[in-house]
Amino acid sequence: MTGTEPHVTAGRLAAPASTSSGPGRALVGVYGVFALSASARAGYQIATKFAEAPLAYALSAFSAVVYILATVALAKGGGRWRPVAWSAVLVELVGVLAVGTVSVLAAGDFPAKTVWSAYGQGYGYVPLVLPFLGLAWLWHTRSRSDHHASGTVADQ
Amino acid sequence: MIGPVSLLVVVLALALAVWALWFVIRDRAVILRQLWGGAVVEAVLVAQAVAAIVLVANGTGSPDRALFGGYILSQLLILPLAAVWAFEERTRWSSVLFFVAAFTTAFLEYRLLQIWGSL
Repeated sequence: MTGTEPHVTAGRLAAPASTSSGPGRALVGVYGVFALSASARAGYQIATKFAEAPLAYALSAFSAVVYILATVALAKGGGRWRPVAWSAVLVELVGVLAVGTVSVLAAGDFPAKTVWSAYGQGYGYVPLVLPFLGLAWLWHTRSRSDHHASGTVADQ
Repeated sequence: MIGPVSLLVVVLALALAVWALWFVIRDRAVILRQLWGGAVVEAVLVAQAVAAIVLVANGTGSPDRALFGGYILSQLLILPLAAVWAFEERTRWSSVLFFVAAFTTAFLEYRLLQIWGSL
């Protein structure tokens, strides 16, 4: 046990805020929509035409897993799920930037669409904005004890 | 697909979205009556799904079955899941969530029509 465990801190404000309430409730909803659509897309692509573009379809499946993890971790509200949420959202950010850039620069090597193709153009660029919202929200709800109470915004 | 039913889905879902957006502006949480509104949309969606399956089985429509089925299923799931998730939250953010769900439902109808070949 370290001092960073939310459970051992006595102060009411010391524990991190839940990531699943307030704005987080809506954020989880949007993540859920993307978890669903990315899964459906990947499932369809892999089931019907995986051999056509294995790399793109594998990336599609990967993005689906990332969205599912982010959705679940944010919905769980924090605690042990918080690092999972951070990781998932960071991977999501790297994913949309990397896949977006590659799909724009080397369209020929990227014949098939993923949620992240062209920075999520097919989804109104929401996939590009979403990880930034996720990171901002995780930062906003972070624990005081995680950061030794320095510069915390406890705007209750 | 069935034109009038699709139109009904889009109109009802968008009406629900506007209602939710109004609640966002008024800083209000989702109310039970909105969930009933969602249930009405859901009832039309179920009827549409059954009709679409019959039409595909008859050979009347020939969309890419896996793709079409995926969209039908996603569309059926979104409002019920959103209703449960939104109703636990008693702030305006539940209305934001409900707006996203209703709008997505309408958008998926548009995609369904594209896949069916009507658009």
